[in-house]
Amino acid sequence: MKFWDRLLRIDRRWLYAIIWLVVMIPLLFPFKIKPMAMPPVTRLFNYIDTMPEDKTLVISVDYTPDIQPELHPMCIALLRHAFANHRKVGLLTLQVMGLGLGEAAIRQVTEEFNSRATTHEDSIINGEDYVYWGWTTPIITILLGMGERITNVFPVDYYGHRTDSLPIMAQLKNYDDIGIVVSIAGSSIPISWVNFANTQFGVPIGCGATAVSAADYYPYLNSGQFTGMMAGMKGAAEYEQLVADKFDELGIRWELRRKGTEAMSSQTAAHIAIMIFIIIGNIAFFITRRRKK
Amino acid sequence: MIVLVLGIFGAAAFIIPHPIVKGIDGTMRNDVLRIITAFSLVLGVGSIIQHHLIKVRRKAEHWPFSYVTLIALVASAIIGLFGGIDPASPGILPTHIGGFSFHMQTLYENVMVPLAATMFALLAFFMASAAYRAFRARNLEATLLLIAAFILMLGAVPLGRMLIRPLPDFAEWILTVPNTAAKRGIMFGIGLGSIATSLKIILGIERGWLGGGGK
Amino acid sequence: MVLALSLCLLLSSLNPATDVIAKDAPNDDGNEIILTWARSDNPTVISYRVLRQTEGEAKWDTVGVAGRLASRFADDEVQNGIRYHYKVLAVSETETAESAISEYAVSSPQWFDLDRLSALIGTIIFTCLIVFFINRAKRHAEKLFIRRIAGLDAVEEALGRATEMGRGILYVPGLSSIDDVATIASMNILGEVAKKTAKFGTPLIVPLRDPIVYTVAREVVRESYTTAGRADSFNQDMVFYVTDQQFAFAAAVDGIMTREKPATNFFIGMFWAESLILAETGASTGAIQIAGTDAVSQLPFFITACDYTLIGEELYAASAYLSREPLLLGAIKGQDYSKLLILAFIIIGTILALAAGLPVQDIF
Repeated sequence: MKFWDRLLRIDRRWLYAIIWLVVMIPLLFPFKIKPMAMPPVTRLFNYIDTMPEDKTLVISVDYTPDIQPELHPMCIALLRHAFANHRKVGLLTLQVMGLGLGEAAIRQVTEEFNSRATTHEDSIINGEDYVYWGWTTPIITILLGMGERITNVFPVDYYGHRTDSLPIMAQLKNYDDIGIVVSIAGSSIPISWVNFANTQFGVPIGCGATAVSAADYYPYLNSGQFTGMMAGMKGAAEYEQLVADKFDELGIRWELRRKGTEAMSSQTAAHIAIMIFIIIGNIAFFITRRRKK
Repeated sequence: MIVLVLGIFGAAAFIIPHPIVKGIDGTMRNDVLRIITAFSLVLGVGSIIQHHLIKVRRKAEHWPFSYVTLIALVASAIIGLFGGIDPASPGILPTHIGGFSFHMQTLYENVMVPLAATMFALLAFFMASAAYRAFRARNLEATLLLIAAFILMLGAVPLGRMLIRPLPDFAEWILTVPNTAAKRGIMFGIGLGSIATSLKIILGIERGWLGGGGK
Repeated sequence: MVLALSLCLLLSSLNPATDVIAKDAPNDDGNEIILTWARSDNPTVISYRVLRQTEGEAKWDTVGVAGRLASRFADDEVQNGIRYHYKVLAVSETETAESAISEYAVSSPQWFDLDRLSALIGTIIFTCLIVFFINRAKRHAEKLFIRRIAGLDAVEEALGRATEMGRGILYVPGLSSIDDVATIASMNILGEVAKKTAKFGTPLIVPLRDPIVYTVAREVVRESYTTAGRADSFNQDMVFYVTDQQFAFAAAVDGIMTREKPATNFFIGMFWAESLILAETGASTGAIQIAGTDAVSQLPFFITACDYTLIGEELYAASAYLSREPLLLGAIKGQDYSKLLILAFIIIGTILALAAGLPVQDIF
């Protein structure tokens, strides 16, 4: 019986070591898991997929580098989806620390497309197919100002071009030209998008959230204020899977890295390990309790 | 008195859209708050310097770490103020030695980002140890919580669907229905509680936050 | 001329927008006119161009373009008190069709936002209830019952334990700014805790993330020490600012907990992802931990890793509970009755909506 007592009082560093191994090994040697999209992710995907051609997808890169591993794959997947579907994209960030992340995402995806492009039509061109407005402050001014005239809120883009001189902006004046805004954030910025852009201008809002904060957003999802949501790494993996299926449908056969999906094996292993911990902890608890009785 | 007037004004600005009220409200919220923050930041930085200087002077336990904090504080302030943000926008101080640059952006990307990500990543370890230590079926409520957590964890990974097909949907249902219901209950309480607290402050009943101890 | 125009109209296959109505934007601060129209039933329309004419002027200005699915345009480039009228031009690839001219509209700022009437009525009822119960509390203070909150009962015990062990108390008032009600509630509790540490002579450590909260917290602690008659024991260094970076702050507090090994940790206020990092580190040092937050998503972490947790509004009730001040207790009573009222409304609304299919939601 001493064994169970010792198990109950195990040094937590053993648990840390086991978790480390359980996370690291599948990262190095991933096993294949095909994510199946849940309704909130499917709704977001379908909305963007069937959005009118003249509407732009706006991605608000509202996350910071510390939660990049969880949320960055969402941004990449959204960009791939929009460009494969020939939809125009506007990017901005409401978090100054997201500035570099937005740039990295758009650079990566445009390179993926442009390195394989054979015609002008297939190429993704800055100012024509996408615009990166960058960052400005304060948030409320941006969210309300974009409903009037985006070029007034962002007179120059991230790269220093005057936005009113960009061809894409001729058809992208305000929220009326935006199909959906997807705010990817670890904080409550998506709620600000709902409060101002959705409530006051009726623009649909999608959301990418960390798994921890996703639970907060379900009321907004139920009420329809969020069109769809990607929750955590799993949400990212599910969206990546839907985009991969879309690529297959369009006949695009590129081997692109899907970091959300890659991390799924690690996450699955960690979840199972934690569940095993709980089971063992409870068995030990019951055995020692019965003995004490 | 100031709290009473400003509090009532803030509440009034919510229902009065007239430009006179909106204008004053905007100035208070944006400009005045920004000025106060700037001044209090000076006090804050003063506080951290003082805190660590005292430690160094008294040779308190682990005092050499205070030097690390102070040096990092001064160095990043100097680089931030005079060293430019990145190689594209250099400042008046040279912030690179050969190919090695230590601009603000470089420091941020190579020091701040990995450190913050490391702290965040610790969550995985702490979750495991907290789950092992505290997740026990001690009574009915704890058992229900345990079962719900189990279903959610299994539903959150693709394996859940492989084992039991409707499990992720059930997990989703737990999140959207019972979870949302409980949360809304708590949110009602929080909403009313925060209005009541604001009201108590505006009416001057609650003065603990001013150090007055409730009287 | 008229003949040519009629011919043009006859030849034109594009139907114009109809029912163009211009109205002052309601419940706003002025300078905005809302234009609505019934969309052209022609599928070739690609957009609508909105044209505006100021009274007494001859020229029409294009004020904006709306998408083909739009039937509403907000013109916010108008001046208050000036009369404007509008027409809408349906545009296709090859032709345009002009609508009839709208009536004149004048924009003006409003003194009351009718959309927020329900919020105002709710607040007034709530305020009346609270004021009523506060007044009643003044007269019948002894009759006020407040349920036991284990987390707050434990405060005394936790302070006693720290004093016995000769160790300090760590108080983290959340990571939010002073405009967060949770932070203000936390300041109220800090005041009570500081009074007790002053009384017992227990060391107090208060690290802070927000500079404004830092200045407030310092004053709160100083005042509490003075009220407890131990102004001489107050030390500037008890309350200090650390950093405004979330995880750097968490690292600093973790460091304090592992080095100083406080006997009791309070995590009271607004927390985000760092909640478990703080609480688990605190648990590993063997401290008694009392947490309290209105961040619903962080509650499970605190409940799991801490000994006591104040859930949501318990946090706001804490200062009343600790100080036993009748006026504050009265406010809590008012809060409870308001909740009862809301509950009644929800039940009545649900029954009405289910029974009669009434659009109950539209009322709010």
